[in-house]
Parts: sequence; structure tokens; C-alpha cells
Amino acid sequence: MMSEHSTIDPTDASTERPERPTAVTVEGLDYAHGDVSVFADLSVGVDAGTVTSVVGPNGSGKSTLLALVAGVLEPDAGTVTVAGDGDRTVGYLAQRPEFRPQFTVRRTVGFYCSLVAGGQDVDALLDRVGLTPVADRRVGALSGGMVRLLGIAQAAVGDPAVLVLDEPTSGLDPEMTRRVAGVVTDLAESGAAVLVATHDLHLVDRFVDRVLVLDRGTLRSTGSPADLRDATGADTLDGAIAALTRAGGSDGVAVSAGLDGGVSR
Amino acid sequence: MTRAHVLAVAQREFATVFRTRLLVVLSVGFVGLIAGVAWLGASPAYLALSFDLLTPLEALVPVLAFAFGYRALLGDRERGELARLRTYPLDHRLYVLGVYLGRAVGLLGVVLVGLSTAALVVPLTGTESLTAVAIYGTVDSPALFLRFLILTAVFALVALALALLVSAAVRSTWNGLALATGAVLALVVGLDGALVGTVTATLPAPDVTATLLALSPTSAYRSLAFALVFAPGGVTVSGGSTAVIGALALGSWFVGSLALTGVLVRR
Repeated sequence: MMSEHSTIDPTDASTERPERPTAVTVEGLDYAHGDVSVFADLSVGVDAGTVTSVVGPNGSGKSTLLALVAGVLEPDAGTVTVAGDGDRTVGYLAQRPEFRPQFTVRRTVGFYCSLVAGGQDVDALLDRVGLTPVADRRVGALSGGMVRLLGIAQAAVGDPAVLVLDEPTSGLDPEMTRRVAGVVTDLAESGAAVLVATHDLHLVDRFVDRVLVLDRGTLRSTGSPADLRDATGADTLDGAIAALTRAGGSDGVAVSAGLDGGVSR
Repeated sequence: MTRAHVLAVAQREFATVFRTRLLVVLSVGFVGLIAGVAWLGASPAYLALSFDLLTPLEALVPVLAFAFGYRALLGDRERGELARLRTYPLDHRLYVLGVYLGRAVGLLGVVLVGLSTAALVVPLTGTESLTAVAIYGTVDSPALFLRFLILTAVFALVALALALLVSAAVRSTWNGLALATGAVLALVVGLDGALVGTVTATLPAPDVTATLLALSPTSAYRSLAFALVFAPGGVTVSGGSTAVIGALALGSWFVGSLALTGVLVRR
């Protein structure tokens, strides 16, 4: 049996990750939907300036973990600590973002900007996510991809230290997916910790620094896409994830060798 | 930042109201109906006009207020806006306040336009100007109509607070519609009917009767209209001040509804 039940301190300095400040620290997290336990004593950390992806099968707890990190849900026990000293420390994009259809893109983002200190430049924010050409278009007339970009712009309001994006590329065509990925990478390069839930493993392979493999509320493994492939001996990231989750066996294979953060729980 | 936050939310709500086609149609309909009642009645005096409008307003104001408010927070919940706003430095109670204020300004504007249009009937119908109306034992005056307008505005504000409470309590559009319809019916006839039923069944003392009859928002509005507009010298129910009880009842409905809304919106 491998170390799937060992608890690793996500802020442990002995890990092989490059030295970056920890932006999110989750410790001893318990959460249940009614009688159904989603997480029990989950611990994990997310570094600043990186794109970290949460992957796993449907029902593994990805969206719930993101909502807990964003503060949208309250944990039953444990703590979620977010670094950052601004008046908005976490930006959040829900899985299916919706906005008031009557307003223009500029006015929609302008409203959120008015809620943070300092009066953020709306046009600069729209330019950052590539929405300037449709700034005066009504939200109700936007494509699904543009609504997601609008959601990312909203999440970035106030330059939060942590951006939590729940399936930002779901249902998008390849070009819009690349565009969203580019924006996400740019946000991480500017210093934010970006936590993304996604089923798009090709995207993960190309754009993500670190992967959290989640299965039935258990963190199976963490590491870069290359680390996961190497550790499982799989040729592809799909194969690596399959080996690590129940799709690859009754309990999956928990891997920690050579991976940063190891396996939590 | 607190005031700026509330203002930002209120401005967005106000703009939303007048960008929602159904609300615009209902607002125009409200103004048309109120003006129509006034002009068809061709009331020769402000007091008579107020009296003619009282019953229609008891029904129409709750309908309009619920149309303005029942989807306000429900829509935000369905769009994920309430969850999204938890990541902003915005207290949920201030958000409720901003939503309420923005919708209230829109609602009051419609009520004001409706009653002002209706008021034009008195000087424009060419009926002989009356300076005294013996049946009401008081002098007719635009000031009394102004009182009536203010009372109606207060009634609208209370009904909107109740609508926001419904909006915060439900989780789906159909539930919201059903509860809003039920609440309007309760406001317009249900509570009144229950109170009248209680009074006739138990025949309490007159002062208790006055208190009971002022408990429902609609009854309170009616009691205040009689006490402050139609018979400002005082109503004849002995043993209790209907105006005070009515004002307390409306105030309680208003504060209680908004406070509970603030609690529910966080869940």
C-alpha cells in the first residue's frame, strides 16, 4: 500500500516545487452535502503565480472544493486560508456563469469594479481578457465563450491573489478554449494563484503547472502533468489520471514518488 | 465604501427595472388603470378622488410591488450572483438594502406618476370647485390628497419589502411565482378576511377590534387613510388610536420583512 493515507503538509518546504509563496492553504477540510460526505480531513496547498488544475471524474468534489476555496461554501470543519491583503482576495467563476442580460459588457464589469476599493479601470480589464470589441454589446447577445471571458474579467476584478475558475472552457470551441487558456496563463504570470477545475486534459497538459487529482473527495495525487505521466508510466495524461482514479481500478493508484505535495489524507 | 456599495447596487437595480419589458408594461398599466378610475369617476374633490382610489389601490399596489420585487433576489440566486458577490467586500445586508432601494425608487416613481395623473382630474374636469365636503366633516384640499399619496407610497414600500422576502425565501421561479401570488392574495383579501372573521366570531372589545383590524398591511393602510385623510379629526373607534396601531403594524411588517430577507439571502 502506498502513502495514500499519509497527511502531507502542503506548505512543506522539503517538497520539490520551485520556491513560491503559498496562496491557498486548505487544512483538515470536512464538508458534507446533507448526509453525504464530500471531503473528510482534506489538506492541500496552491502556490502563487501558478495555474493549478483540479481534475477527476464527475462527482469527485472538484466544484465543491473550488466553492469552498472561494468562500462560496462554508466548510463543516477545517480551514481555508487565502493569502493576500487586498479587499478582495479571491475571484470566482462559477461553472455556468450568468449575468443580467439587459446590461452591456462594460456596464456589467463596471458594476463589479465599483464594489472594490480603488476604482479599477474597466476598459483595461476588458482589454486584458479580449472583450474590448464587444464592450458595448448586451450580455444577452454574447456567445457562451464570451460570457465565460466576461466571467473571468469579473473574477479578476480587484486583482485578487487567488482566482478560482470552475470549468472555464467547458463547451467552447478550440479557438475560444485557447483564448481562455491564454488569459488564465496571463493572470498566473501576473502573480495570481489560479485554481481551475476542468475535464479538458489536453488543456491541462499544455497550460497547467500543477495538477490535483481528486477522486471521491480524496486527493489521489499532485504534481506537474509530466510528473504524473512519469510516476504512473502512462503515455498520456488521460492514462495517468485514469490510473490514479477509480476509472483505472477499484481504488485507483495513489502516487507520491517524486511528486510535490505528495498525497493528502 | 458602504454608501458607495449601496448606491452601486441600487443604481443597477433601478436600471434593471426599467430594462425589464414586463415591468415597464405593468407600470404603464398601473398608471393607466389609476388614471382611468379617476377620470371615469370624475371626482369633483380630492377627498372624493382619494376615496374612489382607495379600494383599487389596495389591490393594485401589492400586485405592482410584487411584480417589482419577487424576482429580485431569486434571479440573483439563479444566476449565481449571490454566490459571486460573496467574493466581494460587500455585506449581504447592504446588498439587500441596495436591491430594495433601487427597486423602491422605481416603484415609488410609478405610484407617484399614477396618483399625480389621477389628481389632475380634479382641476381639469371643470366641475364646480368644492371647498368643503360635509359628508367627511372636513375641508377638501390638495394637501389631503398629498397625505393620501404619501400613505400609498408607504403601503407600496411595505408591500415591496414583503415581495423581497418572498424573493429571498424561494429557490425556483415557479415557487417564487406561486408564493408571490399567494402573498398578494393574502395581502389583498386573505389577512383582511381572517381578521374580520376573527372579529365577528369573537366579538372582542372595540379597542381590540381596532388593533386586530390594523394588523394586516392592507387594513393598516386603510385605517391610516381613514384616520389621516378622510377623517383627520379622529376615527370613531373608541379606546384605541387606529393611526398609531396602523403605523406600528406597517413599520413592523417593513422592518421584519427586510430583516428576515437579510438572514435568508445569506443561506
